[in-house]
Amino acid sequence: MTVAAKKKEKHSFTASEARNLISKRTNVFFNIIMILGCIFTVFPLWIIFISSITSEVALTTYGYRLWPIEFSANAYTYLFRDGSIMITAYKNTLIATVCGTVLSTVTVGLYSYALSRKDFKYRKFFTFFSFFTMLFSGGLVSYYNICRSFLGLKDTVYALFLPLSFSAYWVIIMRTFYNSNVPEEVIESARIDGSGEWRTLIQIVVPLAIPGYATVALFSAIGVWNDFRQCLLLNDSSEFYNLQYTIYQTMNNLRFLKENASKMGGVNVSNLPSETFRMAMAVVTVGPIIMAYPFFQKYFIKGLTVGAVKG
Amino acid sequence: MVAKGWLNGRSPRKQMAGSTKRQFAYLLMVLPGVLFLLAFAYLPMPGTVLSFKFYQMTVPPEGFWLQDTFLYSVFVTSKWVGLENFVYLINEAPMLIRNTVGYNLLFMLVGLVLQVGLAVLINELRNRKTAKVYHTIMFMPYFVSWIVVMYALYTLISTDGFINKVLMMFGGQGVKFYSERMYWPWIFTIAQIWKYTGQGAIIYLATLTGFDEQLYEAGAIDGATKWQQFRFITLPQLMPVIVMLQILAVGRIFNGDFDMFYSLPNGSGTLRQVTQTIDVYVYDTLKTGQLRNSFGYAGAAALFQSVVGFVLILTTNAVIRKHQPDMALF
Repeated sequence: MTVAAKKKEKHSFTASEARNLISKRTNVFFNIIMILGCIFTVFPLWIIFISSITSEVALTTYGYRLWPIEFSANAYTYLFRDGSIMITAYKNTLIATVCGTVLSTVTVGLYSYALSRKDFKYRKFFTFFSFFTMLFSGGLVSYYNICRSFLGLKDTVYALFLPLSFSAYWVIIMRTFYNSNVPEEVIESARIDGSGEWRTLIQIVVPLAIPGYATVALFSAIGVWNDFRQCLLLNDSSEFYNLQYTIYQTMNNLRFLKENASKMGGVNVSNLPSETFRMAMAVVTVGPIIMAYPFFQKYFIKGLTVGAVKG
Repeated sequence: MVAKGWLNGRSPRKQMAGSTKRQFAYLLMVLPGVLFLLAFAYLPMPGTVLSFKFYQMTVPPEGFWLQDTFLYSVFVTSKWVGLENFVYLINEAPMLIRNTVGYNLLFMLVGLVLQVGLAVLINELRNRKTAKVYHTIMFMPYFVSWIVVMYALYTLISTDGFINKVLMMFGGQGVKFYSERMYWPWIFTIAQIWKYTGQGAIIYLATLTGFDEQLYEAGAIDGATKWQQFRFITLPQLMPVIVMLQILAVGRIFNGDFDMFYSLPNGSGTLRQVTQTIDVYVYDTLKTGQLRNSFGYAGAAALFQSVVGFVLILTTNAVIRKHQPDMALF
């Protein structure tokens, strides 16, 4: 091959090879940055995980390590023994997540479908009715009191999901989804064929909008699973704690006991939840979500981009 | 409409009936949502009058139509005190506003640089598959609750945590992070970076991939380096999205990430000066306040936050509408 031909080939590579790629050296450099970023991301969770599968003795002697010095699964068996607070917490969180997800998908799905219909007479009013709640809130004090006493949510499983079951933000996402993925003609032709509104919705619209429902359902599931605030505000009895609040309380109590150990004339240390036990609590709290999320990543990405681009 | 009805062999009257029926169906569809909004968003709104009252808890007399202590106390027995509750807040306000607004500005700035940077890096990597793996990993913390972050932080910065172990290994002094104020702005910022960089990059990444390749090719032919391409092609095109997101963030500048500010300090009282934001203050006052009128004070702080937030959102929306009408919220 002549020099000229080589030169030409090289030139055509940069010009036409669609992306005019970065040089190999820069690529290596960027990869190193990304790997460092990934280590930074995984590191804190990794330490928690490793601590949870280390034996208690090794952990107190050697501290947090990157690799278990002495492997032990005791913390996990202890975690799910009979009558453990974690079993109650898991049960409550699961019930709340399932109910909350179903409820929010149905209510948001219905509400935003009506808003997406141009022939809905009160469309403007109900759009504003939900949108206004994004702008102004009644404040924590009256929310707190109304939920607890007037609505009777105090110390119930309902407190863990009902307040989280509807959000104006999802209505915006879902309405955008209907508008861009369910063609007007399809609905119109169903109507001409004599189908009622409900039948059109269930038989025609729902199958087309499933990716949208999946997005709302997944965000809602994460929201309820990770919720800490509703439980903090509304549930006082440990019988109705969810996972996040249970592990928060464990850590908080431990700090309190440590701080006041001298004042209370020596606390029996063996009664405190052990380090590995607490780390195992954190692992089972976050585990299912981290395992499941990569499979649903595209829905999350969709939900985040749609919502941000157009309100 | 009418013509279609005739073609379909239905009389206009039937069409009208169908329309009423249709409106009814739509109303039925919004009903569940309306109930939720009423219960959790609209019902608490009248309670804001508490901000101007001295809360006097009174159990409603038997037979009174409204058997709810809170509502009865707020609307019937509590006395108006004008702006007294707000005056009470004046001492705390500078610290709270400094923390809330200051942290938000810091997070916005750092977040912007890192998120755009990450998006560009992911977009430029030669191997698409590894790029995707990197992003999947860095997006993950978005799904980790702040409570678990609190656990992770504890393993890192507690007195016998990882960082102190490393410090002592190199002969340094141990640091008591949970009682030293100076570290916390850093800790919060790093926590925010950890949790939101991967998620924040998504919107920039989505915008980047939509750009016209030909611009870059033309740039490359003209001899623009990759940096120049970023500076003169990518950044200007990304600007509208950047501006939009920053303006939206300004609209939320009085709202803090309650879960983070509340949980990460692990209840350490000495840190209050640097960890307390308006949201946390409202909660603390409401829940643990030993004050006689803690409901009134917390209500006033929350109302202040709501009103300022409301004004900010309206203002920022007006600004967006002026510059980019199709991106305005309303």
